[in-house]
Amino acid sequence: MTVESSPVQEQRGARIRAVLLRQDVLLLVVFIAMIAFFSILNPRFFSAAAAANILQDFSPVMLMAIGQAFVILSGGIDLSVGAVLGLSGVTTAMIIRDQSANGSDPGVAIALGLIAGVVVGALVGLVNGLLITYGRLAPFIATLATMGAAAGITLVVTGGVQIAGAPRELILLGNTTYLGLFTIPVMVVIVIAALAWLYVSRSKFGRWTYAIGSNSFAARGAGINVRRHLLKIYVISGVLAALAGAFVYFRLGSGSPLSGRGGELNAIAAVVVGGIALTGGIGRLSGVILGSLIITAVLSGLIIIGVEPNWQQVVIGALIAVAVGIQGIGSFKGRTL
Amino acid sequence: MNATPLYEVRNISKKYGNVIALDDVSLQVMPGEVVGLVGDNGAGKSTLVKVLSGAHSPDSGEIYLDGELRTWKSPHDALSAGIETLYQDSGLAPDLTVAANVFLGRELKAKGILGKLGFLSEKAMDVRAREELLRVGIAVPSSTRSVAQLSGGQRQAVAIGRAVAWANKVIVLDEPTNHLGARQSGEVLEVIKHAKTQGLGVIFISHTLPHVLEVTDRIVVLRLGKIAANAPTSEFTPDSLLKVITGLSGSN
Repeated sequence: MTVESSPVQEQRGARIRAVLLRQDVLLLVVFIAMIAFFSILNPRFFSAAAAANILQDFSPVMLMAIGQAFVILSGGIDLSVGAVLGLSGVTTAMIIRDQSANGSDPGVAIALGLIAGVVVGALVGLVNGLLITYGRLAPFIATLATMGAAAGITLVVTGGVQIAGAPRELILLGNTTYLGLFTIPVMVVIVIAALAWLYVSRSKFGRWTYAIGSNSFAARGAGINVRRHLLKIYVISGVLAALAGAFVYFRLGSGSPLSGRGGELNAIAAVVVGGIALTGGIGRLSGVILGSLIITAVLSGLIIIGVEPNWQQVVIGALIAVAVGIQGIGSFKGRTL
Repeated sequence: MNATPLYEVRNISKKYGNVIALDDVSLQVMPGEVVGLVGDNGAGKSTLVKVLSGAHSPDSGEIYLDGELRTWKSPHDALSAGIETLYQDSGLAPDLTVAANVFLGRELKAKGILGKLGFLSEKAMDVRAREELLRVGIAVPSSTRSVAQLSGGQRQAVAIGRAVAWANKVIVLDEPTNHLGARQSGEVLEVIKHAKTQGLGVIFISHTLPHVLEVTDRIVVLRLGKIAANAPTSEFTPDSLLKVITGLSGSN
């Protein structure tokens, strides 16, 4: 039997590839337009110092968005990333505070704190994955539950107060810029984003993630261990959120129990603005990187032009609605034409 | 026939809650034999397909491949043993390309260190997907197109091609001619005949009785979870087959 190719379909294939490429170009244009917009309203926005600042804001959003991208591509959602950022952040902060108080070497204290925070993030991710795969809970419900639990535990262990007592070396690590722009955490995030981009688009792990999001029944029928793959994805999301928590703490020098609040909203916004479909299976990580830049620029820009910070979440919420709406129009057209 | 069956299930029972989906069902297929599995809606065909493909474990009963007792914990076990299944309507990931679907779960890695790191060789998969599909009689002009862009018939062609290309023992086809036009259905039946000449065992599930009568060597009729008939195709007429399926008469 033959799979005939009609010229119409060949054209359509080329057109879809062109649209995908255009999507990245479009996002880049949006990003540049926003920088221009905020710079005109407040010229201070267009400076190396502001850019370095934005990159520091960008780091946690990017890390959470990468994990969220894997999760959403696989057809799920992870609402717990913001709460994990908070819980892992204060875990790291408490370990480093105690180690420093005991006279540990700052490097050792930082390493132990980082490991502890990442382990906590991985555990929350594992619980998410187990609830979703073996517990058969919808990802939305499972991660809503762990979001609440993680935020609650954060308040319990800290008593709701900030964790101070960070060594000077930690604050230097979090804030010393190289080339006037990049702190070490920012450089780590850039490397992770580049690796994630390669893995999503070129590796077996990425391919299976798309396959599960596209049709999990077919993926299982093709011999893919869907449960194990989803467990890995939720653990990755937890670990990246934990790293985000550590980096936020490195920057501020104190671990705030409220630091991750609303973080999941930013991550989801970065992913959908970047063109990943909430239904799974469609989208590219290059878009998510641009989406994270756009979200961060919006957040920073609003502050720099003097908008009251409480408006931030309203704007992010609106961005999610607009992005998903535009995706919906696109797929609607795709189906009817 | 006294030869060892290629694939055999014996005394399979399966319950979902209080519903008995399969009750003491046995079925065997010889190398190069096409067995038709027919029955009304709710007769237990889909459940039996899932047991055959390793997607569901039976509550009781045994599975033999080449005369050896086997258990499938997941479809992966059955696939590695050479049993391919084409599921009704849902065998492909629509957002992936034809080549990615053909190689789904069996991806080709890049050479050297990149492959060890988990990176794929897209080019090799594109070329080999086309070759494998051609080998089983399916010509694909572009294996880099996503399945969502194909027509229903084209998708079915890719799904069948993938199953036949990978199967080295048994192929289970659940309603492969569903939603297909007459010409495309004819092509599916040709692919089945081709698989038979390769010595594969084929289990062909269909509602379209003329197709079943045309292509099978033996027909097994399921009714309300039990075997209602199991006889060479030559013993059935379209009329008698329909009567067994609907329960108006029993045989064997």
